[in-house]
Amino acid sequence: MSVQPLQETESHTTQKTPYRPLTQHELEKIAPSRDERLFLVLSIFIGVLSGLLVVSFRIAIEWIKILTLGSAPHAGQFRLLFVPALAGLFVAALVLLVFPAARGSGVNQTKAALYIYNGYISFKTVIGKFITSALAIGCGHSLGPEDPSLQIGAGVASMVARRLNMSKQRLRMFAPIGAAAGLAAAFNAPISAILFVIEEVIGQWTAAVLGSIVLSAISSVVVARWFWGSEPIFRIPAATLRDPRELIAYAILGVVGGFAALIFSKALCVLRPRLRALPRWTYYCQPGVAGLLVGLIGFVGFPQVMGPGYEVIDQAMHGQFAWKLLLALAVLKILATTLSFTSGTPGGMFAPTLFIGAMLGAAVGSFEKLFFPHLTGTVGAYALVGMGVLFAGFLRAPLTSVFMVLEVSGNYSIILPVILANMIAYLMSRGLQPVPVFEVLTHQDGLELPSMEEAREESELHLEDALRPINVPVVKGHQKIADAIQIVSAAQTSAFFVSLWDGSWYAMTADELTSASATLTTDTPIEKVLAPERTPILFPDMPLDSALQYFPRWPVLPILNRANKGALEGVVTQADVLHRYQEQ
Amino acid sequence: MAVLQLRSALTPEERQQRQKLILRDTLALLSLFAIAVLLFFITLFLFHSFSVHRHELAQRWLARGESALHANQPLAAIDALRSALAYAPDNENLEIELAEALAAAGRTQEAIAYFKNLLESRPGNGMINLQLARLAAKQGDESAAIDYYQAALDGTWQGDGYIRRREVRLELAHYLTDRNRLDQARNQLLIAAGNAPDDVNIHLQVAGMLESSQDLVNALHLYQKALQHRPARLAALEGASRTTYALHLYLQARQYLERTLNHPDFEKRPADVQQQFRDMLSDADRILLLYPAPELSVRARAERILSNRRVAQERLATCMSSKSPIPAELQSLAAKWQQLPATLRLLQLEQNPELEQQIMQLVYQTEQIASRQCGAPSGTDALLLKIAEAPEAVEQQ
Repeated sequence: MSVQPLQETESHTTQKTPYRPLTQHELEKIAPSRDERLFLVLSIFIGVLSGLLVVSFRIAIEWIKILTLGSAPHAGQFRLLFVPALAGLFVAALVLLVFPAARGSGVNQTKAALYIYNGYISFKTVIGKFITSALAIGCGHSLGPEDPSLQIGAGVASMVARRLNMSKQRLRMFAPIGAAAGLAAAFNAPISAILFVIEEVIGQWTAAVLGSIVLSAISSVVVARWFWGSEPIFRIPAATLRDPRELIAYAILGVVGGFAALIFSKALCVLRPRLRALPRWTYYCQPGVAGLLVGLIGFVGFPQVMGPGYEVIDQAMHGQFAWKLLLALAVLKILATTLSFTSGTPGGMFAPTLFIGAMLGAAVGSFEKLFFPHLTGTVGAYALVGMGVLFAGFLRAPLTSVFMVLEVSGNYSIILPVILANMIAYLMSRGLQPVPVFEVLTHQDGLELPSMEEAREESELHLEDALRPINVPVVKGHQKIADAIQIVSAAQTSAFFVSLWDGSWYAMTADELTSASATLTTDTPIEKVLAPERTPILFPDMPLDSALQYFPRWPVLPILNRANKGALEGVVTQADVLHRYQEQ
Repeated sequence: MAVLQLRSALTPEERQQRQKLILRDTLALLSLFAIAVLLFFITLFLFHSFSVHRHELAQRWLARGESALHANQPLAAIDALRSALAYAPDNENLEIELAEALAAAGRTQEAIAYFKNLLESRPGNGMINLQLARLAAKQGDESAAIDYYQAALDGTWQGDGYIRRREVRLELAHYLTDRNRLDQARNQLLIAAGNAPDDVNIHLQVAGMLESSQDLVNALHLYQKALQHRPARLAALEGASRTTYALHLYLQARQYLERTLNHPDFEKRPADVQQQFRDMLSDADRILLLYPAPELSVRARAERILSNRRVAQERLATCMSSKSPIPAELQSLAAKWQQLPATLRLLQLEQNPELEQQIMQLVYQTEQIASRQCGAPSGTDALLLKIAEAPEAVEQQ
């Protein structure tokens, strides 16, 4: 009965008050756990929507390819010349006049959305990316659909989060969730997509976002597999390592892949700024000219380099090409992709990277098989490892590269060659080109995005780095104030530690001691005068910044032994911590 | 408790806003669900049409590839089959056909690499092993070829494995015959013959190959099996004629040769083949007239022996006159002749079967030694030489 008037009041108010969007403060007050709950539900929606869009995207590319280049493009067909050129001109006009944010691969754009635009990716960008990338890739430009899929997924996530009026902090977290979903659907490999997003987009394992990334990636892969089936994008032949000596052959592949990654990166990084430095009107022509040149490569005898080239990777894996042709395809693919990408044509780098890696791997495998027939590894195994090698060397995502090969092949027995070859390529690439290619491209675009590689390698400072020997007196809790005064006077310090019976510690200042001695008798145990809080429990291996928050309260902090909290390892002061940071 | 606290902490306006928020969120989620469903059906439609089109393209390129392969245009076939494979990547037969096209185009290394790759994923596949055997044979790698052929025989075949294995065995036998590994070839052929059903064509095929591998006895056996089927096939009659003739079974040969020449299809055979069989029949007839068969009357036998003696002595005399100095073998032979009575009458022979046998042995020896010393004989000497090679077989049934 008592509720009735309130309901009437509410109903009355509902009729009169028009809806206004709630501020974040209001949202937090009336529904504090709303964001958290919606976060997981929306991750699934984002996964499903991204999966569907990516499937449509792939179909669009295939349809466009069949309609423009024919069902079986082969050398000597004149349409190989003019279709990519015309598509390049059309796509350039679309990008410059309608969808300016659709330019590029999609990885850096997603990172920019995350770090600069608070996770905002417009609907127009998603549509633009879909249309322009599908047109360019379908018409034969040497680019892939994975990076655009990543951006499409991130765009979907951004739109969904905005529609639900999520907080700015949450909105920022949705971009990588969508990115993982898009990439997972494109690759049909959820683990690799999750790892790539963590390794290259967000740069850290954050528990808050990891669950959602996994949910969205799995949702999108479920959708993609509903359509494409559970098979990986390539048919993977049997790949095993029977003789450990064969690792030498894989190591050679790692070296070859490291050099190829370097050449590919250098070509992109050198040509792109030069093309961008040309007058703006040339931007309308550059993709067209690139298309013409890529088409020319196809026309004169290598149509395999056009488009993403998945079927060519598949053919190479199944030993359909001789090693000389494989080598030629790898070289020409580097050339074609450099032309397509640097001209500003929208499209991704993943598929070309895998293509080049697979060709190199298969070439090395075929060569070794020819001249060392006792080696037992299949050409397919070499091609598979080659893909990982280029992924590690060019994209500089070593963890993803290993898991990608394992996930795509579904074969754990190849892990040793993969790790060995990938690490060689990765280390070579790092040694020969310290700045990763995506970072160079970011700088060329005038953006300063965090470097994930640097972030991974930053050596975090720990308390032990600022630790100093115990130079303050230690007083037992049961000792009298008089004893404490005597000890502190003798040491001439402004603070001292009180060790309590339960293993806890208290850092007392000389002023506190003075005021205690003024109000209490000197035979009062020191533990009776302490404030209720205790110094924080800190250990030497904890991050250095973990101590900073306690200095306003405590003048000096005890650093304890993990095996025995009653024992001190040393002490730190605010000055020690700041000095250590200044030293770095 | 927490909910009660929250509810009590909210003002009526905030509670109203909260309800609106829940409603809005619900509607937003429902709209998202509706969008997902709509997008799903659009994607499904696109995917279905795309899949159908892919299937059509795969079939179209497969047909083009196969017709190009049959038209002996392997390069066109390679392009077409590769295109088909792009749209139907899991089609095993397509992969094998592509590798066949590569081999046919002379791109042997590519074909071998491709087949080996296929073999690694399907190690027991009979067809792939067979193709590798053919390529190894083409490359002259005899031991690899035989190994692959054997693996093909032991491998798995789809559907008609029984027939395919026999074909592989016959192909292997053919290869072994070509490589002059006749014993191994015969073994394979005998296994093939033993496993073969009672089919005229198979009998004829295996018999022909046995003939090529110089296993005339088993070849004749199979020809005879083939002849048990009515109407008798000309090929079987010809084979039986050839093999009986080669085995010196002239009585049987004459019968088969007569049947061959009387076969309605014989006139359709090339003239040289016809002439060859006519010659064989003529020779068989004459051999049977020369041969002093035990079934003949005593007089007839004696007449034939005396006649053969005269022919052989003339052959020896001619041969010795052409040699100077006379080889020891001929001298020894002449000495043997001299040990016999210089003149012989029919009656003497009729009463002395041992002498008959002694003379005929000497006739055979004379023809064989003269053939070695003075070259291949002609006319009656040639016929006597044929008898000399297997006298006991001449009238064997």
